Amino acid sequence: MITAFALACFAIAGICGAYRLLVGPGLADRIVALDVTLISLMGAITVDAARRETTVNLIMLVVLAIIGFTATVSASRFLEHERPEEVPST
Amino acid sequence: MSTAADLIMAFGGLIAVLAGVGLLKFNTAYARFHAAGKASPVAFVIAAIGSGFHLGWEGATYLLIASVAMVLTLPIGVHLMFRAVHRTTTSDHLSVDELASAEGQAPS
Repeated sequence: MITAFALACFAIAGICGAYRLLVGPGLADRIVALDVTLISLMGAITVDAARRETTVNLIMLVVLAIIGFTATVSASRFLEHERPEEVPST
Repeated sequence: MSTAADLIMAFGGLIAVLAGVGLLKFNTAYARFHAAGKASPVAFVIAAIGSGFHLGWEGATYLLIASVAMVLTLPIGVHLMFRAVHRTTTSDHLSVDELASAEGQAPS
């Protein structure tokens, strides 16, 4: 019961991140929104592992933490060195 | 014992909702990144503490490694996003920008 409420809370945070991913005015907002969605997914995996008393899925958390960081860092480097005359108009 | 662990996980979920709402409500990019980058790893660490009570030593070790990896790496990523936003956009809601004058003198 209480764990279902915790899962719903992480789902709400994921939906907020998805909204900012769609609406965000600019690339940087979208990258941070992806990061927030990823972390809420990790939280939901953790609560689900506690509900079912199994540790099968917890190795995904370690991988997702490293991959999320790498994606954010490389995206920020692309964002900084974007040359204005080569960007196609959106 | 297990009810206390469930309550800790629910508290972590509430902090994640705070991160999401902060991502929606603020007007400037800097405030949004602050809310998202500070509240999200805290929410995950608290949920991992609550879940570690249920899962025993093996699960708690996995969660400890994931929490340490996230707390060490995520603030660096969000700081690089702040720096990228500051270097590529001008913001008219700031009255005094001391970092811009300092960056103009040093080669980037």
